[in-house]
Formats: sequence, structure tokens, C-alpha cells
Amino acid sequence: MDMFANLALGLETALSPTNLLYCFVGVTLGTIIGVIPGIGTLAAISMLFPITFHLDPIAAIIMLAGIWYGTTYGGSTAAILLNIPGAPANAVTALDGYPMARQGRGGLALLMTTVASFIGGSFGIIILTLFSPVIAGYALQVSSAEYFALMLLGLVAASTISDSSALKGLAMVVLGLLLSTVGMDAQSGAARFTFGNLALLDGLSIVALAMGIFGVAEIIASVRKINVGDIDRKTISWSAMLPSRDDVRRSWMPLVRGSSVGSFFGALPGTGPSVAAFMAYALEKRSAKEPERFGNGAIEGIMAPESANNAADQTAFIPTLSLGIPGSATMALMLGALMIHGINPGPNLIIEQPALFWGLIMSFWIGNVLLVIMNLPLIGLWVRLLTVPYHLMYPSILMFICIGAYSVRYNAFDVFVVLGFGLLGYLMRVFALPAAPLLLGFVLGPLLEQHFRRAMVLARGDFTAMLERPVTATVLSLTGLLLVWSVWSGWRKYRARVRAQQAIEA
Amino acid sequence: MMNRDYRDMVAGGLLMALGAGAALYASASYNLGTITRMGAGMMPTALGWILAAFGAAIMIGAYFRPGPRPEVRVVTPIFILGGVAAFALVIKPFGLLPAVVACVVVSSMAERAFKPVRWILLSSALCVLAYLIFSVSLRLPIPVVAWPF
Repeated sequence: MDMFANLALGLETALSPTNLLYCFVGVTLGTIIGVIPGIGTLAAISMLFPITFHLDPIAAIIMLAGIWYGTTYGGSTAAILLNIPGAPANAVTALDGYPMARQGRGGLALLMTTVASFIGGSFGIIILTLFSPVIAGYALQVSSAEYFALMLLGLVAASTISDSSALKGLAMVVLGLLLSTVGMDAQSGAARFTFGNLALLDGLSIVALAMGIFGVAEIIASVRKINVGDIDRKTISWSAMLPSRDDVRRSWMPLVRGSSVGSFFGALPGTGPSVAAFMAYALEKRSAKEPERFGNGAIEGIMAPESANNAADQTAFIPTLSLGIPGSATMALMLGALMIHGINPGPNLIIEQPALFWGLIMSFWIGNVLLVIMNLPLIGLWVRLLTVPYHLMYPSILMFICIGAYSVRYNAFDVFVVLGFGLLGYLMRVFALPAAPLLLGFVLGPLLEQHFRRAMVLARGDFTAMLERPVTATVLSLTGLLLVWSVWSGWRKYRARVRAQQAIEA
Repeated sequence: MMNRDYRDMVAGGLLMALGAGAALYASASYNLGTITRMGAGMMPTALGWILAAFGAAIMIGAYFRPGPRPEVRVVTPIFILGGVAAFALVIKPFGLLPAVVACVVVSSMAERAFKPVRWILLSSALCVLAYLIFSVSLRLPIPVVAWPF
């Protein structure tokens, strides 16, 4: 069976000294960034994005992926000890993790979340290994019309499901698509929205966009906001970490349920690890015999979300690698990293780049093992990191962003583009416009336009011809249903608010 | 009820203006083509009008509901973005280390406190770090210090 040959190839690739080193660098950086509140995963990945230009593509994506799942491991530390999630995916962990720390069980909580993360992550990797080749096999048969429909579904799902206002999410997707048209049109060669500026001919760089909108804007919003509180160091000793038999017994089922829920929601577009963690927590609370224990330091309340968000981290790669359709902004950045190296994401990736695909998957295992090794003995070090004040942190981050943007083409104009996107990102925060759909639209924009134009040529400009293809029709009607559903639920929310208002006034 | 969601009204209005502007500019400047053979201007024009429509919908929806008043920071963005601008202006003529110092000092002012000792220590530490990472280990061809005159 060639699965074993593939896995062997992957293991060989992942264990090469260079790739091993970058996997280690990735998970270490991920843990550090995850521990420190005020730098999100996206900001971190976009900050390190330019460095990947100077690496081999496999090493580059292994490192970026390491940062991605490493932050989820590290993020639980701040959530448990400070009640501030280090990354959004760990927000739910704080609900029971922080009470545990207050009861002097912080060390135990840190240990158990590491175990939960490892088991959830491993479960996700197995699902990823089994399903990606199958999905890619089916996807090989699809044409431009189906691709266009699938991408449209991905974009609509990502913008309507996760955020509060579907309308704003959709508007941001369109803005991202519009920004992606800047530069030379691939088909006619016409320069669009460049206003005579030669530096814009290559288009706006994804690096500048991500660093501006996620890095700079996040700094602006966090300066003088984040205060590092006092941490009780005593609870983080070895003896305080050992779980009792009761803790272990209570943890089994939440682990299994959390991993399954996480794997499912991770693979869907629009629902990332944050939604997965939330769903796992909700399921655990609903199925518990004593739901009142939740929120007061129930160990199930940290095991379920931590296994779910790590499982979701891994399964998020399924649509990204097997279809070339990223389900979240981070995955869009991963695809961007591949495209910069001239690798076209899509169902062909597994066949054309087996070393990259299987090497990446095997590096997940290695990365997860490294994370467990690092997290257990070094937990004291990570905790100390929490006490680095933000006023020393943010100028350093800004410096990395600037050098990173400049190093792509050694062009100061690119740094000004970061500035522009920083301002845009900050304004979007003020107006509560979500940033993730914009990045998704920006990354998928060129592909979407290309497939749409090609599909229209094939269909001789007839929209209805697209609906005669069964897959396209199904996917497009799903997209339509999703739009109708989001409008309807928005309307219901509005009615509920009006009724509440009237009840107050009456 | 005079309390309206002004935040979303302004956001929707801006998006509407941006979309309409882009659509008008694209349809005037680029070849639209036909539906079968689309030209360079077709997608930007279509996207612009869609964005304008979403912007209008956000604005209209906001008119009929009360909303929060957002906290807008003015000083912080000026100094943070100023730090980025300082880096961009200094890097070409003066080189890497002066650009790092400029960026760190200007952005540190966002704290709204005059802490020269801390600035000196932090920028020297970051100069060493930047030199080691970018010049020594990654070997980027950026001059460490340059003198344009």
C-alpha cells in the first residue's frame, strides 16, 4: 500500500536536519507568541512571513505551520494564569482554567491542557492523513465552474458564520477581492489601480497587508491596554502538577468528544479552532451530570476545548491542502507562502509535491512531540515571559514588521504600504469591521477572477449553463441558502432587540 | 429615538463611497469587455458596485437601531504609524541600525511618557538583535549604517 511509502517519504523529509530545525524554531516561536497576550497568531505569522522568502518552501511552510499550532499550545498558559487568552482559540479555556489557578491548581491545569493539546492534535493529524488524499482525488475532476462555486461557498461561509454581522463580513470579503485586483491583470496585461506607480504593478503584497492589518493595527489597539498582573508562582511546581485519579477519570470522555468536535469544525470553512473550542465546551457542559461545576474550575472545561482547538488546527489543513481553498485567514497566509514559492495549491499538490505534503504532515507529529517536551519542563520559563511588559514588547514587534516588509524587495514603498494597511486595519477595528474575511478575499481574489472568467468563456457567457452542472448547482445553492439563512437570522436578532427595547419602554 | 448606530452608519457610508469610486474609476479607465470575454475592468467594476451595495445596506440597517459609541484613539495611531513611517524614510539613506532606532523611539512615544534611558537601552538592544538576525544569520543585503552625503 502506498500510504506507507508516502508516510516514509514524509518522515524522511520532516526529519532532515534543516526541516527539523525550522519545525523546532516554528513551535518555539509559536509557544512564545501564544503565551504573550497582545500578539495574535496572525500577527506573528505575518511578521515572520518575509523570512520564509529566504527559505526552501518545505522548511518555510513547516515553520509557519509550527507557529500556528504552537500558539494554541502556548495560548492556554496566559488563559489559565492571567484570565487573558494568549490567542482567541484559548478564550474558552480561561472559563475553567483561571478558577483552577485561583484554587491553586494552576500547575495541574497547565499539565492537563498540554496533554489535551497533544491528544487533540494527534487525532487531527490522523484525520488529515486519512481524508486529504481522498478529497484531493475527487477534486481532480472538477473544472473552473466548480472551483469558482467552491471558492464562493468558502468565502460566504467564512464571512457569515463566524462573525456577528454577516453583512459586514461580506462587505469585507468584497473589499479584499477589490484590493486583490490592484496590479497587472493576468489575462490582458492592463495595469489596474496602479495610478502610474511602478511598485504597484506586482499588486499589493500579502505580507504588507497582513502585517498592517493584523500586526500594526493590533499594536495600536493594545498599547497602554495590557497590564500584566501578579502570578502565583507557587502553584507551578512539579508536585502541584500531578493529576489525581479522579482528574484522570473525568478527563477521558471530554478528550474524545473534544477531539472529534474539533476535527469536524476545523475542516469546515469559516469555523476555526475558536469555534471548535467553544462548541466542545458547550457540548461538555450540556452533557455533564453536574453542569454547575463548569465555570468553577471543572477539569472537563479545559480538557474539551484544548483538545478541540488543537484538533481543529490540524484539520484546517484539509481544505487548504487538498482543494487549495483556505478556511481561515491563517490558512490563506499558508497558501500565500506556497504561492510565493511558485507552488500552486490545489488538488494536484499531493501528487506533484508529495515530499512537501507528506513532509508537512509528518512534521506536525514531530512538532507536537516537541511541544510536549518543551511545555512540561520549561513551563516556568513561559510563565516568566508573561511578565515582560508590553511597552518593551511592541516597539520590538514593530521593528520586526518594518524590517520584514522592507526585506521582501528592498523597497521603502512596501513599508509605506504597511503603514497604509495599519491605518486601514485600525479604522476597521474602530468600525467593528472584521479583518479575517478581507484577507481571505484578498488571497482568493486572483484565483476567483481567473476561474470565473474561464468558466464564462466555456459557458459562452451564459450564467444558467453553470447551473446545469450538478456539482456547481449544488454548491451554488448551498451558498444561496447560507446567504438567506444569515439574512434571516440577522433579521430575527433585530426583531428580538426591537422587542426588548419596546419592553423596556413600555 | 435619537440614538442611532452612528458607527455603522459612517462605516457603511465610507464603504459605499469607496465601492462606487472604485467602480466608476474602473469602468472609465479599463476595458470592460463582454460577459463571455471579460476585460480588465469587468471584475473591479462589478466588485465596486457590490461593495457599494453592501455599504448602503450596512448604513440603512444602522439608521434604524441604537448603537455603541466607539472609542477612537488619535495619539496612539499617530506615534505607531509614525514609527513605521520613520523606518521607511530612514532605511534607504541611512541604513538598518538608524532606521531601527528611529522606529523604536518614535513608536515608544505612544506610551505618552518621556523615558530617554529606556529608549536608549531598548533601541541598543534591538539594534544588536536586528544586526544578529538579519545581517549575520539571514545575510540580508541591507547596509548596516550608511552615509548619504
